[in-house]
Amino acid sequence: MENLNEVLQLFLSIDNFIAIALGVVIGVTVGSIPGLTATMAVALALPFTFSMQPVAAILLLVGIYKGGMYGGSITAILIRTPGSPASACTLLDGYPMAQQGHAKKALKTALFSSVIADFISNIALIFFAAYLAKIALNFGAPEFFWLICFSLTIIISLASGSMVKGLLAALMGILLSLVGLDSVFGSQRLTFGNYNLMDSISFIPLLIGLFAIPEIIEFYRKKVVPHIKAKASGAGMTLAELKRCMKSIVRGSLIGVIIGAIPGTGATAAAFISYSDARRRSPNRDNFGKGEVEGVAAAEAGNNGVAGATLIPLLSLGIPGDVITAIILGAFMVHGLTPGPIMFQENLSLIYALFLGIMLSSLILLVVGNAAIKYFSLIADIPKSILFPIVLMFCIYGAYAVNNATFDIWLMLAFGVVGYLFNRTGIPAAPFLIGFILGPMFEDNLRRSLLIGNGDLSIFVRGPITWFFIAITFGSIAFALYRFFQARKQASNARQLNNG
Amino acid sequence: MKKLISATCIAACGSALLISASLSTAHAADWPTGDVRLVVPYAPGGTTDVLSRRVADLLKDALDTNVIVENRPGAGSTVGTGRLARGGRDADHTLLMASPGHTIGAAIYPDLAYDPVEDFVFIQNVIDIPNVMVVPASSPYNSVVEFIEAAQDQNMAFSHSGVGSSIHMSGELFKTLTGSNMTAVPFAGSGAALPALLGGDVDVSFENMPTVYSHIKSGDLRALAVTSAERSPYLPDVPTLSEIGEYNLDQFVTTAWFGLIAHNSFPEEGYEAMQQALDEVMEREEFLDFAKQLGAQPGQVEGEEFKQFVIDDLARWQEVAEQAGISQ
Repeated sequence: MENLNEVLQLFLSIDNFIAIALGVVIGVTVGSIPGLTATMAVALALPFTFSMQPVAAILLLVGIYKGGMYGGSITAILIRTPGSPASACTLLDGYPMAQQGHAKKALKTALFSSVIADFISNIALIFFAAYLAKIALNFGAPEFFWLICFSLTIIISLASGSMVKGLLAALMGILLSLVGLDSVFGSQRLTFGNYNLMDSISFIPLLIGLFAIPEIIEFYRKKVVPHIKAKASGAGMTLAELKRCMKSIVRGSLIGVIIGAIPGTGATAAAFISYSDARRRSPNRDNFGKGEVEGVAAAEAGNNGVAGATLIPLLSLGIPGDVITAIILGAFMVHGLTPGPIMFQENLSLIYALFLGIMLSSLILLVVGNAAIKYFSLIADIPKSILFPIVLMFCIYGAYAVNNATFDIWLMLAFGVVGYLFNRTGIPAAPFLIGFILGPMFEDNLRRSLLIGNGDLSIFVRGPITWFFIAITFGSIAFALYRFFQARKQASNARQLNNG
Repeated sequence: MKKLISATCIAACGSALLISASLSTAHAADWPTGDVRLVVPYAPGGTTDVLSRRVADLLKDALDTNVIVENRPGAGSTVGTGRLARGGRDADHTLLMASPGHTIGAAIYPDLAYDPVEDFVFIQNVIDIPNVMVVPASSPYNSVVEFIEAAQDQNMAFSHSGVGSSIHMSGELFKTLTGSNMTAVPFAGSGAALPALLGGDVDVSFENMPTVYSHIKSGDLRALAVTSAERSPYLPDVPTLSEIGEYNLDQFVTTAWFGLIAHNSFPEEGYEAMQQALDEVMEREEFLDFAKQLGAQPGQVEGEEFKQFVIDDLARWQEVAEQAGISQ
């Protein structure tokens, strides 16, 4: 490559290395504080990048993004408070692991799968950007609609225990997701005239309330210290465990890549889809939700797989897939660069220098994450009577900080009660969250398709992508029903044997 | 139970500390006497936010004080704007970056708790971004008139970034003025709307210039017209809608405008200091470069003229909202 010299010149600058390292450190720190999301950190860092060189500026923001993606999992695992929405799925198994004295193992699993997924995602960005961007463009509303349908069917696999309770939880999630403004007419739905609800129920207060508060209530209600089997910081992830999880990590990363490349779905959905997929395939299926290493690995692989891939539509099409990439787009523009096909023609060296930096960021994430774990895992050793008041403080601040609104604190506390009731009645929180996340996407894409098709239903079967998703949606339902009836048959056979 | 009470107390005190740490106090004498707050009534990351942070950065030098950007998102821009309208002890050092959401929000929700004109002081319009009427490269229409003629018999879908956005309202205005058959297709932001346009799922959009500029340059989208009063120097060959001369389009002049406003108790010396500082900022090369990147023009109006501009904008959107059936 004739531009190699120029690429290296752009990349091999001490500023770039400092920017990436600083970005990852900021990201991990901010990501681990509930209510402070990577999005906010990126937005706040933006003005500082104005005076930096373009490559360093973008790498700082990308570093924050990637660090934040991982950082969210730290508090999810340790104190059942997801630092960012995307890590909500990680706590399903991460927190039980920490409770069993495997905090360090859970954190390491999250880190390794994050780094591997991040790496795979970067590879996809560098080598398949043009191809994946083309797929993204073919992903219109009807294709999206079927993708969401398929994703909704995986709720079945998350409804551990009772199918009825799982579906009930999902429907409640969908019902609550309807609160806010109607996307077509702008009319208010279920807001009861409260302007705080016009932008729908804020996701972070909901998450914090649903997961962190019930633990605190439970602790003070029982007044017993949860039994911890080993020193909480415990051992790390073994090579055998990493090997066992590898398939799920790679699959999760690919799910993340595909979802990241399509603008508008996001890391949270990717984490849940990856998690459910891993659970469906794993021989340890029944251990999911109770502290399964593979569960943490799959969830983190899913959300980190998105990180590199969201840059695909940004760089190759100039389309920001989420808020963070929108801010990064802003940073490009401040430096006189316009992401899109033209940038590949005019600033190819700069793009390759960025790619090198992005690859390096995965490595730095590994180093920074490892150092963070060393200190963060000590949190698991703090007596709960000291830890929980501090957690409660962060819950309140975190809920407030999202929109600077006191209303969100009340919302968070209300969801705390809901979460507590869920725990008491055995209603699973995961399907509730999936309903809440995917419900609006389902509705919006259904209505969008009908508007685009002018009421003509044939738009739902308009091409190979829709056919593919229709097939796997019905396949997934058939498979779940088959398994359900088989389990019932086995149960009745066992009963007959016992009776006989 | 005691434990629970003490824990709650600790938590409450701690979070109160954290929350109050972000508030500042100031008294007016010579303006500014302390930090200046710039409220962005949207979440971090949007055009308003990025622009505000750029302006705040430059204002910091011009005013020789800290300019703190504060996001107060919610319900369009009405939560942040409503809060400013209520005043409070920092009102003499608080600015807000208003945008079309200020007038469109008031047009769609007539029951707002504030008056979008009388409750504020209008300092200066900082930047104007035109919208561009774009069709996919595969579209058979090469001019606005061709498009309108086709839209008399067949239904056209236009994408927008959300109900009440300037993109949405421009589409509705076009539909009303030209009598075209058009269906609004909502997306969650311009980023999500763009693939539908590039992929040809929708027939047209009235997108903000920075969103589509590179796609026009690369030939993936075709610009039929710009919505500003004058042609854009960035797309000199593309006519304005008002120069089409048919189908009532001479009335179609609209831009995504951004300007600084403050509570109507804002001190006179602050108003003057701000205008002086903004004049300085808007001549800075960094600002002009930034505007160029957005395909934008520095704002043209200030003070009373800016206020009149907002009054006219409001009246126009009220009419469009009424006709489109989106006035609540």
